[in-house]
Amino acid sequence: MNLNAQHLGNRTFSRHLVSRQYQQKKRKRVIIMGLMLTSMVDMFSLLVIFLLQNFSTSPELAVVAKGVTLPASATSRELKDAPVLAISEAGIYLDQKFVGLTEELLDQPAPLMEKLQSLREVWEKSHPNQSFPGEISVQADQAISSAVVSRFMGMLPSQAFGSIQLAVVGGGRG
Amino acid sequence: MAGAVGGASGSGRRKSLDAELNLVSFIDLLSMCICFLLMTAVWIEVGSLQVKQSHGTEGPAAVSQSHEIDLAVSSSTTLELTIKKGGKVVQKQQLKAASVEELSTQLNGALVSFVSSPAGKAAPVSAAMITSTASVSYGELIRIMDALRRNQIVNLGVVPANRDLAMAGISGGSRK
Repeated sequence: MNLNAQHLGNRTFSRHLVSRQYQQKKRKRVIIMGLMLTSMVDMFSLLVIFLLQNFSTSPELAVVAKGVTLPASATSRELKDAPVLAISEAGIYLDQKFVGLTEELLDQPAPLMEKLQSLREVWEKSHPNQSFPGEISVQADQAISSAVVSRFMGMLPSQAFGSIQLAVVGGGRG
Repeated sequence: MAGAVGGASGSGRRKSLDAELNLVSFIDLLSMCICFLLMTAVWIEVGSLQVKQSHGTEGPAAVSQSHEIDLAVSSSTTLELTIKKGGKVVQKQQLKAASVEELSTQLNGALVSFVSSPAGKAAPVSAAMITSTASVSYGELIRIMDALRRNQIVNLGVVPANRDLAMAGISGGSRK
């Protein structure tokens, strides 16, 4: 059905529908379904307001490594931008790059130490006349043994990474 | 926003004042806004717990007049809480529970009672060191840390495990 201005004249579309229904009433019963646009616009507006309130302008700093389920914490703070050391049962990743198998690195941590050292040297070259903050973010799987995590945490200060952020999912019951 | 004024154009007839908003473009705009916001929304909020590992980088700290806590978590249901002041043990308590949630609640209760006591008020707890065994999972360790942080003990440290203990943690497989 072509409902252009020629057919409608100066009448509004709703009036056109009502008059057409009235004209056709004697012949047969016509059901005209109309969308309740007002309530739909209300709903859309509320959705937009809700999503705008939750909108975060800060970039997503932490990309959670594959195979790592972060534990929940009720007392977490904002995560700062820092190199990420991901610890899982399968392997160790530094800034998304595979360093080695967990078991091997527990025995021989030299490859991890070298990577951490090169990270520190790159930072020191790019920030001359500034002291190294030594911040690192640790993402560990919640099911892994705490002894494994504490072993790796104990290795970090030897490369001047003494300020460790344990990545957690916020809003947990604790 | 565009508006259409309805009514007869014939001469002599009064123009209707009924106005209808053109809602189509408005709905288009709202739909685009919703799509954009849904796609850019961050559903999982990643936070952090700060831990200071001073091992090997700093000299020994001066003897402070504040209390310090040593927590030895031997399993997910047992821990030993030791409160020290100037190297001397002030209070030692063994906590046992059926689950890690209950253990965390018991620890919270013990800390609240110490912090609110005259000794705790006179010299607040400045730091806590946590020692855990291979049978304690990382998630359970975070729960214990949460209980400490809830009592304003934010200067936390984890005693590094030795190689054999860590290897035992790996060979033990997943905890949960």
